[in-house]
Amino acid sequence: MANQSFTKSVLKKTIIGIIIGGILVVAAQQTHFPPIFQIMFFIYAMLGSLVFILLDAPPMKRLEGVKALGALLVFYVLLSGLYIAGASILPQFDPADEAGKIEKILKIRKARSEQGKADELIARAKVLDERAKAITAQLSSLGAGAQVEVASTSGAKAPASGDIIAKGKEQWELQECYNCHKLFGSGGKKRGPVLDNIGSLMTPEALREKILNPKSWMAEGFDKQYEKGKMPDKYRDLMFEEEINALVAFLSTLKDTSVETPKPIKMN
Amino acid sequence: MKTLHRSMWMVLGLLIGGAALAYGQEVPAPQVDFPYTGNRTAVWVVANLHILFAAFILGAPIFAVVAEWLGYKNNDPKYDRLAKEVIKVTVILYSMTALTGGLFLFVLLGTYPDFSTWLIQHFFLVFAVIYPLLFILETIILYTYFYSWDSMKGRLKGRHIALGILLNIVGTVTLFVIDGPTAFMNTPAKAAEGVSLVEFVSNAGLWDKMANYSWMPLNLHRLVGNVTFGGFIAGLIAAYMFMRSKTDEERSYYDWMGFVGNMIGVGALLLLPFMGYLLAYELCDYDASICPYMMADQLSMFFEMQGAMIGLIFLASNYYIWLSLKRIEGVDQIRMSGYVALSVLFMPAIMGMAWKMFPPPEWQSLIFLAATVLVPVMLGKIPGLKNFTVSAFTMIKIGFLMIVVADAIWMTPHGFVATQGLATHEVELPEWAQELALMPAKNAAAFTLVFLTIVNYIMYNRAIKRGTIIWGKIDFASQFVLIFLAFSAIWTMGLMGTVRSLTRKYFHVYNLVPDFTPEAFTPTLSYSAWWITGVTIVFYAVVSFAILVTLKPASSKVEAH
Repeated sequence: MANQSFTKSVLKKTIIGIIIGGILVVAAQQTHFPPIFQIMFFIYAMLGSLVFILLDAPPMKRLEGVKALGALLVFYVLLSGLYIAGASILPQFDPADEAGKIEKILKIRKARSEQGKADELIARAKVLDERAKAITAQLSSLGAGAQVEVASTSGAKAPASGDIIAKGKEQWELQECYNCHKLFGSGGKKRGPVLDNIGSLMTPEALREKILNPKSWMAEGFDKQYEKGKMPDKYRDLMFEEEINALVAFLSTLKDTSVETPKPIKMN
Repeated sequence: MKTLHRSMWMVLGLLIGGAALAYGQEVPAPQVDFPYTGNRTAVWVVANLHILFAAFILGAPIFAVVAEWLGYKNNDPKYDRLAKEVIKVTVILYSMTALTGGLFLFVLLGTYPDFSTWLIQHFFLVFAVIYPLLFILETIILYTYFYSWDSMKGRLKGRHIALGILLNIVGTVTLFVIDGPTAFMNTPAKAAEGVSLVEFVSNAGLWDKMANYSWMPLNLHRLVGNVTFGGFIAGLIAAYMFMRSKTDEERSYYDWMGFVGNMIGVGALLLLPFMGYLLAYELCDYDASICPYMMADQLSMFFEMQGAMIGLIFLASNYYIWLSLKRIEGVDQIRMSGYVALSVLFMPAIMGMAWKMFPPPEWQSLIFLAATVLVPVMLGKIPGLKNFTVSAFTMIKIGFLMIVVADAIWMTPHGFVATQGLATHEVELPEWAQELALMPAKNAAAFTLVFLTIVNYIMYNRAIKRGTIIWGKIDFASQFVLIFLAFSAIWTMGLMGTVRSLTRKYFHVYNLVPDFTPEAFTPTLSYSAWWITGVTIVFYAVVSFAILVTLKPASSKVEAH
């Protein structure tokens, strides 16, 4: 009897869920939600049904021994499967996109780091060599006060730049400036000002100053006072001179006066 | 003097020559490459496992000492038994924490020797002196606390509780100390104006590096998370033991233990969203580019999954309350102000709009918040109006409806796409509904979930006071709910730990020490979910084994009332 009643309840609530889900889908269609959101609303309606079915479910029979153990194992397998499937159904970011970017960013740094290490080793070897020569000379002459010159380490010269503006645009992508600044109609999401006309409003020197010390310039009328100054001041540590030069060169070319770009103000 | 001078040069020459010879003959160490997983995932898995055990041995004693104190204060032996059983399992798992900690260290040193050495040198005092000393101290206190349980009864009980408090103080200090290097990797001390980060860190003292931006938020988040974890694991212990119980007395006791574990777990869980916000806020304040990376870029779907997990955890904890209410005699008489029910129905909309108009910290937002919470309560006290009431079951059903609605809001993204920069109209919210994806709506959803759970627990408390609980007669399904809560809480911890770690992007230490290995990219959510599930299962298997070998229901001598 209880089972029959529960079956009826399941049927009733499932139908109600489908009806509510259907209404939500139609409403979402009418209000221009894309199909993926319509599916999401329907799933929520069915989740609501499931919750209300569970609320009225009859008490579960007690399980003991092997049955309890089996039920537990099945439960764990179901949970694991549910969580993996749930995470896998969601849109996946393609690591290859990021790996390519990271490779570009790190390539020059790695080269310099390895070059740095190599230089250091060469310098050490030179020091040892000089010291050995000096000692030999001292031992042969039995003279004193050998002067040993320590070779200085030096970083590698920056590779010659090609099209500096193209490199600057690449820096725009690599440093993910688009996450905060809208440009050519995409990116931004209002975290930072639009930059389509920034080349007309700032000199290259001012642009460089802004990148290296973000608090030196602020966009007039952009956002509320307490949300200002969010631009990270990390680029002076993260970017090489030629990368900054390229980015500045690229930004200087942005002179689209048809796009309203907030005017930068020099801060004290 | 001249001879001495010459002799010294000769000795120096021999030494340098010998050293150069030894240097030249040094055999380079082979490179460690973990098969299948790769080095990065190997470190991730071992670290995740270690953190789970560490969280347990830090969270469980907090739970235990509170239970012991309640037992002492109320003269109720059930609490004392509960505390002792939790500590018994903790003692067993303590060695696993040390084992996985050692494993983590070896794997890290083997796979990333340069970076590991760099980090150890920066925090040498912490790694070589402070942390080991604290760990030894904690070990001594834990074992003394456990083995003196029976001998320090009666008038010595107060001292035993004090020992438990000392254990928790040392445990918390240990957590805070080891959080220093962890937080440093996320937010290395911010450089002063005009000083480069490299230069700053090179000259910074230990304290400057420890007290970085995310240190205290991480401490608080982990501390509260550990209490939640301890509560849910106590619930898991209770569920296992309830299933194994052969007598009604045992079932009564473990039913009660499950209730207490869940109560503490949920109580601490209510604070977690706010602690999470605080940590995320500090990360974003440190570097605003972390925010889009988390919320709109590579990790955005990780947060979608987090929303699903939080929603499920809130649903489950409230379902447990529902099942608990069902075994209370006289619960039909319990009623609640209908204005609270109405307030709950409109809460996401009201608070979403209020926080849009007056984003926190603007004071007007607090007025709305207070009005939404207090006005329904006050209306319920006014003669003539107070008769508008709903039954406990109706209130909870409204609550469930709103939990689904709140979670739907929480989980509504700006676009169903892995990085929001790639969003197109086919997967994006329509222009008019974009508010649904913004923080005011998310905050309103989180607040609704927390508020509803509090209302349900208030109602449950009223039911306990007015009705009679029949311990041991709870629906058997409730035990699966407790197990679900523990499993899901652990899984969510793994997920959010992964997120915190990934916010370092392609750096070992954010913006300071790049990771030059080819694995330095953000893995997919699906890949992460497999590993998080694997780690959760391993942890669960070990904990389950520890519970089953440590506790035996037949040994019970205390009857639950």
